[in-house]
Amino acid sequence: MMRIREYSTKLSALLLALATLSAGGSGCKRSAKEDTAGLPRAETLYVAGRQWGEPASFNPLSSNPDWPVNGLNLMYETLLLYNPQTGKMEPLLAESFKQSDESIEVTLNAAARWSDGRPVTGWDVKCSYDLGYKHKSLPMSPVWQYLSEVRLLDNAGNAVADTPNDSPDYPRRIEFVLDKARLNPLVILDALQDTRIVPRHVIEPLLAKANGSVEEFSKLKFDKAPVVTGPYQLKLFSSEKIVMERRPDYWGNQALYAGKLPAPKYVVHPIYKSNDHFSVALQQGRLDMSSTFVPRIWLKHKKGVRSWFDEAPYFQAASVPILSINVKHRPLNDVAIRRAMAFAINYTDIRELAVSGYSEPLKAGLILPFGLESKYYSEEDVKKYGASYDPARAKAVLKEAGYVSTFNEKGELLETRDKTGQRVPTVFIKSPTGWSDWESIVRIAVRGMREVGIDARERFVDASLFWNAMFQGDFDLIMNTPASSPSPSKPWSRFEAIMTTQDFAAEGDKMYKNMGRFNDPKAPGYIPRIDELLATIPTMKDEAQLMQAYRELNVIFMEQQPTLPLVYRPDQFYEFSTRHWSNFATGKNPYLPPQIPGERLGTRMLWSIKAVAQQ
Amino acid sequence: MLNNNPALKHIVGRVGWYLVTFLVAVTINFFLPRLGDANPVDTIMAKVSTGLDTKSARVKEEAYLKEFGLVEVDAQGKVKRDAQGKPVPTPLSSQFVNYMGMSLQGDLGSSILQHPKRVSEIIKTAIPWTIALQLPTIIFGWIIGNVLGALAAYKRGAFDKILYPMALLTSAIPAFCFGILLVYFFGIRLEWFPAVGGYDEGLTPELSGEFLSSAAYYYVLPFLSVFLLVVGGQAIGMRSMCIYELGTDYVKYAKLLGVKESKILFYMFRNAMLPQLTGLALALGTMVGGALIAEIIFSYPGLGMTILTAIQGNDYPVITGCTLLITVTVLIANFSADVMIGLLDPRIKAVQSGGK
Repeated sequence: MMRIREYSTKLSALLLALATLSAGGSGCKRSAKEDTAGLPRAETLYVAGRQWGEPASFNPLSSNPDWPVNGLNLMYETLLLYNPQTGKMEPLLAESFKQSDESIEVTLNAAARWSDGRPVTGWDVKCSYDLGYKHKSLPMSPVWQYLSEVRLLDNAGNAVADTPNDSPDYPRRIEFVLDKARLNPLVILDALQDTRIVPRHVIEPLLAKANGSVEEFSKLKFDKAPVVTGPYQLKLFSSEKIVMERRPDYWGNQALYAGKLPAPKYVVHPIYKSNDHFSVALQQGRLDMSSTFVPRIWLKHKKGVRSWFDEAPYFQAASVPILSINVKHRPLNDVAIRRAMAFAINYTDIRELAVSGYSEPLKAGLILPFGLESKYYSEEDVKKYGASYDPARAKAVLKEAGYVSTFNEKGELLETRDKTGQRVPTVFIKSPTGWSDWESIVRIAVRGMREVGIDARERFVDASLFWNAMFQGDFDLIMNTPASSPSPSKPWSRFEAIMTTQDFAAEGDKMYKNMGRFNDPKAPGYIPRIDELLATIPTMKDEAQLMQAYRELNVIFMEQQPTLPLVYRPDQFYEFSTRHWSNFATGKNPYLPPQIPGERLGTRMLWSIKAVAQQ
Repeated sequence: MLNNNPALKHIVGRVGWYLVTFLVAVTINFFLPRLGDANPVDTIMAKVSTGLDTKSARVKEEAYLKEFGLVEVDAQGKVKRDAQGKPVPTPLSSQFVNYMGMSLQGDLGSSILQHPKRVSEIIKTAIPWTIALQLPTIIFGWIIGNVLGALAAYKRGAFDKILYPMALLTSAIPAFCFGILLVYFFGIRLEWFPAVGGYDEGLTPELSGEFLSSAAYYYVLPFLSVFLLVVGGQAIGMRSMCIYELGTDYVKYAKLLGVKESKILFYMFRNAMLPQLTGLALALGTMVGGALIAEIIFSYPGLGMTILTAIQGNDYPVITGCTLLITVTVLIANFSADVMIGLLDPRIKAVQSGGK
């Protein structure tokens, strides 16, 4: 016994030393920076919800960079900002913009500077867009389907050559010339508030060093004091957090905020591994803002956790999760089945159970009945053509189309036969396993469909298989949220994402819009009117004409039911804790939209929030 | 020469077997994640394709496939296409040859989902946390569990009556349940310990008193969540082993001879310890796989979550890199256990030397 005790004491001493070493070792690896005292709480804003895994790359040309490059305007800035509250474009790097029938012209703010002191020039802007013309895999490439040229103009309106120099008379006027064959100013506006402007004098030499290869270039991480225009700079990052530090020499402090600095010296995004942790951290005051889903937020009020509204629905909805329907699959090619499905789903259950009641009741069609889009919404059309939860009506639609369903004595669906007496195959609704809110939506939809006599079943698949199936059209019905982020092109882009026939592909080949293969131009029953409307709406200026066109498109949608809209929800959630900071934008004080700092226009909130005095 | 040294012969034989096992494991590790239908590029495309039209999305997808070596490329660096114009996927066999070539040079490649990060870099940042959480819990849990188990078997009475059911309880509670209870009571209700993370958000990992004390404070709950389970499991095993040993002839004989009690206890402990030692080696080997559940419940840094996300997203290089690491440590740990038991256990020694 003695010997064992001696042995174990020695061993434990040794292990304790080892453990300390290994804990310390993890610290040594990361560069110990000058201020080792940590970040003062009163000067630090903790935000979360935009970074889930370990940071890998802050490359501004990456399609999938880490926070805050993915969120916009903390490091790299856009020309303009879109305000989803007012529908207006607001200035950032560009001080103004002009729209004509052929082009959109922006004028850069003369004060705009890179962090190395150089001015932000028209050459930078042209380069940021032209890269997408040359390299189709870059995030700014899609806009080139609608753009014919980016032209630089001097103050007198004469064209300027695309040869950057250090002259103080650099071009500040940039003209985005629309493609005449596909006039679509909405898409250009989307791009102006979505495209990061990158420093040409840094990017071009690096790209040349990579022999012009974007693949080679994408290996650069841009994680060591990159040249930026934004108000914050990357200070450090690890698998647990990303720390941004205020740039006292940010050009916009003088030019846009009358010399005021953003209130927090540091903006930190902690990286947690499960959704619940954001909720816990908010309640403990360790997190100040989050755009994650926090269930039953009203229970967290007493701990100082607030959302956009203090009462139901608590958030401002902006997107519509839907079930895409593969209309090439029997029996989903029959509009009667699609309509019956739309009548069979209990949308109130979905809203209450799957999204904690965080939205207004669903109305038929694809136009939101609240906010800016509501001006195109017609209650009359929705009442006349739209489907709402009505099982009796669903059964009537099925009966009329000649479907006969048999149920057992417990009321469970046995089978359905069509008017020719053939058995209707079971349709499966795909959703990624473990996405619990989507799973519960699908369960509610399946229950409703089976009750009225449609043979539907859940099919939860591995997330990686899910996406492939979605793009290839390998599904009967599948969960997704089309064109979700608020942008100037709403609600057009939502219709477009669901009904466009552009680059139509057979099942098995990938389509990234209209995954349900609706309105095949080569198949009988093609409705050319849909494509006409999708092409002309972006060019319309007259509100009455727009209203007419949107009504027509929405009616076609409701009659054809190519997908099943299920519920409204915010694109990004918006919660904050009142323990350390105050004066956040809210539904009562909507001086900015519900976007957390580091997320588009929400970045401006950094100049308005105030530190709460700590006793 | 080997024939004259049975122990050495035994070791050389084992080494051969371990090499074969290693090669088989590496092959399985390579092929298993790639057998399914899914592709890491699909996961990336899901993230980057919002708002893209179909044509640009296809171009983008091809660029990714090319970058990660999943499609064939011709001499000019262009993607090879079949008759329908679709890119030709790289055959698994040539991917395997590439992988083996790189692995032999110690290059684990770079992650697909965390592009352009190197796999070695990902493992390097995660492994210290994993070892810091796992090594002490396993070692201390093992020692304390075994001592308690042996005492319970030997003392019986009230000590055993209390310890045994408690050990059963802690080892039977699922790890996630126990972790969640700890978070709920001590992290959220009482707020004695932080519920989330590895250290205070305001700090940076470094060798300072402030950081170490913060890390120690954040360490308590995750440590307990694993430690108590290990203690329970070990105590039960050791208790049964000792009860068996107590009934053996040598213990009875020693008692009859009037050998000192502590001496008997020591013999007994040493014999009962052997199977437990194998268990310890195994636990130490699999340790690098990470305490996944503790990591998820406490958002604690470590390798477990890295492996889980890699598997979910089919991030082949990270999966194979991590499984390679696990394979190597499990094999090394087992090998050391083999050798150690060979040296410690007189019975095995006897067999090896031909029953001298």
